[in-house]
Amino acid sequence: MSENIKFTVNGNELEAKSGELLIEACENSGIHIPRFCWHKRLEPVGMCRMCLVEVETPRGKALVPSCTTEITEDLVVETESEVVTKAQEGILEFLLINHPLDCPVCDKAGECPLQDQTMAYGPGESRFVEEKRHFEKPISISEIILLDRERCILCARCTRFSDEISGDPLIEFIQRGNKTEVNTFPDEPFRSYFSGNTVQICPVGALTSTSYRFKARPWDLKKVSSTCNCCSVGCSIELNTSQNKMLRILGEDNEFTNQGWLSDKGRYNFDYLHSENRVLNILNKSEDSFNEISISEAMTKIKNKIDELDNPNVKFLLGSSSTNEEYFVINEIGNYLNKDKFLSRDSSNIYFGDDLLFEGYFGDQYSQAKLEDLDNSETIVVWAEDIKDNLPILYLRIKKAVKNGSKLIVFGHTNTSIAGLADFYFGADIVSNKFELIRNPNEIEDLKNNIEGKKVTVIAGKSTVFQKKESLDKLINFLNEKSELQVFNAFSKGNTFGALQNIDEVKGLNEFCNEFDTNAKNIVFTIGVNPVNSSFFGQKIKEKLIASDFVISLDLFVNETTELADLILPTTSLGEKEGTVTNMEMRVMKQNKILPAPGSTLSEWEYLSSILNVLGEDVNYKNENEINNYLSEKYINQEKLPTFDNLNKPSNLFGVINKKDININIKDLEEDNFSLLMVRRLYGDSSTQINSPSISMLGAHKFIELNSTTAKKYGINSKVGNLIQGPNSILINIDINEYLPDDLVIAPINRRGFENIDPCLDFDITEAKNREELNVN
Amino acid sequence: MSWDSKLIDRAKEIIELYPQKRSALGPLLYLAQEKEGYIDDDSVVEISKLIGITEVQVRSVASFYTMYKQEPSGKYLLSVCKSISCEINNSKEVIDNIKEFTGLANNETDIESTFTFEEVECIGACGGAPAVQINYETVEGVTPTKALELCKYLKEEVPEVIVADELQDKFGGTKSFDWAIEDNSGTSSTAPGFQIIGTSEEK
Repeated sequence: MSENIKFTVNGNELEAKSGELLIEACENSGIHIPRFCWHKRLEPVGMCRMCLVEVETPRGKALVPSCTTEITEDLVVETESEVVTKAQEGILEFLLINHPLDCPVCDKAGECPLQDQTMAYGPGESRFVEEKRHFEKPISISEIILLDRERCILCARCTRFSDEISGDPLIEFIQRGNKTEVNTFPDEPFRSYFSGNTVQICPVGALTSTSYRFKARPWDLKKVSSTCNCCSVGCSIELNTSQNKMLRILGEDNEFTNQGWLSDKGRYNFDYLHSENRVLNILNKSEDSFNEISISEAMTKIKNKIDELDNPNVKFLLGSSSTNEEYFVINEIGNYLNKDKFLSRDSSNIYFGDDLLFEGYFGDQYSQAKLEDLDNSETIVVWAEDIKDNLPILYLRIKKAVKNGSKLIVFGHTNTSIAGLADFYFGADIVSNKFELIRNPNEIEDLKNNIEGKKVTVIAGKSTVFQKKESLDKLINFLNEKSELQVFNAFSKGNTFGALQNIDEVKGLNEFCNEFDTNAKNIVFTIGVNPVNSSFFGQKIKEKLIASDFVISLDLFVNETTELADLILPTTSLGEKEGTVTNMEMRVMKQNKILPAPGSTLSEWEYLSSILNVLGEDVNYKNENEINNYLSEKYINQEKLPTFDNLNKPSNLFGVINKKDININIKDLEEDNFSLLMVRRLYGDSSTQINSPSISMLGAHKFIELNSTTAKKYGINSKVGNLIQGPNSILINIDINEYLPDDLVIAPINRRGFENIDPCLDFDITEAKNREELNVN
Repeated sequence: MSWDSKLIDRAKEIIELYPQKRSALGPLLYLAQEKEGYIDDDSVVEISKLIGITEVQVRSVASFYTMYKQEPSGKYLLSVCKSISCEINNSKEVIDNIKEFTGLANNETDIESTFTFEEVECIGACGGAPAVQINYETVEGVTPTKALELCKYLKEEVPEVIVADELQDKFGGTKSFDWAIEDNSGTSSTAPGFQIIGTSEEK
């Protein structure tokens, strides 16, 4: 198949791989054939006929669609002949028959393939005088996507995407012939985690998103490439701004990571940048309210406080949205305020805000997986928190690999959304309700037969904070012994791996609670993290923060955590800072700056190095680039350093894989008697999301999941109920999920209304009578 | 209305006939049509659950093919061929007579829900043109007068089961081909009568 063959286009002899599509082979040789329906990441469909070319056949020259024609030896093709030109003009005239030509009010105008190609290949004038077909102007097919059926040219890109790529075909062609339209089923909206991709690949302005609609014209946009920080896949994105406002995020086609796609969270979670709730000035707490102070006042205050407290314990709570450069400086200041300044303490004082972080599988005995390994794996094994919700693009990559023949083995009980894809789903008979392996891995025939001596990629992580590492160890070591294993540590939050790479020793929130000495003097820094809201340890952390002598928060918003701070230093976010981030493959990629820092916000590193300065330490970082050079020195492979200079080279735009030693010191939680399994869903109530109006409603859905046997046990028949625990009662939707074992009930953790639910206490579920009751409440 | 257990059992039997569940979509749609006279949303939901595809995918197929009705039909669906062979043999007048008798335009149903009239493309009975179908039971060699008689008969006698051979004897003329097999099963609904799907009725 990979043998090169020769073919002729417009009289020039070209080479391409046998079996390649004509349109793709021409594209690779620099010959552009116009098209609407063909997309290199989708199966060809031959729908629009725009790519017609003339090929020589034994019966003379014939017009064929180049997107469904594979090249063959000595194929002779004309792409610009008179016949082809006439065909293109004809096709465009047909396509424009029902197209409203409302370009002046269309968001796509200016970057519209139909507009561009009509200019380049169209007939120039219309002969159509009849009435065009009419539809209601945009209908919303989900909370975030609008559909204008008049503009649609029926290329089937969106329907193919949702069927082939994201696997949730909730939009389809309805009717036939002249009446054909794309639509959803009534009452079944296009609720997909990936729906935004259909807007991006729509070749006309038929699909638009609520967040970008009527916001800007494409020619007014300023654009820069960057890397998404919503999960640890690290998708390549393009930031689009106008007049210093972020207006849109598009997916870039990075062959190694996202291949053009984005989750809707990555795509639409940016409105918060310009939210009126965002903290833009330094806030100082006096009495019980915040007042604005200047940076010099703030620095003096910090210095005085540290002096006054005389040898305090300083602890850092970290979030996942900092850049590697910022983590590097956090590590510096952590060390300085700990073992350097206060020599008596030599253990780390940096705690990472992810309940599911644990020691993981790093080091020489485990081979670090890359996303492309999934395509070459014979078997993929998943035992981690819900991949579709927490690492959405990894889910797409797994789906693609499975489609191409990889076997998928999924361990319960959180990944039920990919259970349907799996060849083997190991539920209650293999994984206990406490997430222990009931059977030894080598006794599980279906596992053994599919991994022994094979290429295997495992995605391993804790499914709940209560899960013990031992069972995971058993599985990973078994796989490592019996197969050619590549390991993904499924730590899903933003730049987790950047933190791991740049901080000498990372601990967890449980360690924070345990090591916090209420009798000592305590200073706590919280940096871009809101554990009070999102962590199992939230309540405990809240108590510790209240008990602290001084709390400094570096963050974007006043939220459940930062409202406990004595000082809030407002920071910058995506698009407002330059730096690098590391994804789950240890691929280091660049985040670029396109917006000015709003108000008097500064980067985290700027605050922290100012604090070091005011404490008398002689650090003088000029800019991110300099920090980047410092941290690059510590990478193991010195040949391919992820420095800014390197990453800005065209050959490294997809990122550079490099390693550092990783030291995580997080122990299993002792308690494991949980009654409710609380899981993270894609959308939730993080402060960035609730301040992004276009997607904030998506995190409001209140639900529990359980199987029908468990539902029967609670005596529930309806789809609506109340989750009751002590004085708390939440009206919820009850979703029956038969993949769950008996007696396991799933509830969302990052969700308004659930903040007072304790997963360790008993609860009850009662029926609510009907949907009307839901509305009344 | 959602499906009762008897209908679901029948659907499951049909699904059994195919290597892949989704292949049973076509016959299941006929089953739905037999039940309601058209493909209603509830049936779409039931079918999507039974064969594991999304509702909109079911709707997509159901709305593509014209023989899957999207609106309730009358008790008798009159399909008159307007393709070339029938046209040459005076289908125009047959059509006009039926239209006049029923007072219906193309794709309309009368208020009493007795008749639905439609003009259709070739129904494969060119040898016996002009041809009409009543609930997909074909009658060939119909003359404009016979067509009127046929309509009157349906309106006055209101037969429960429509059997092609029976109507052919009463109202038909030349047949394109005589299979010489007596076929006594017909249909009592506006879905085609297929024995294997279970939409046909013994007279």
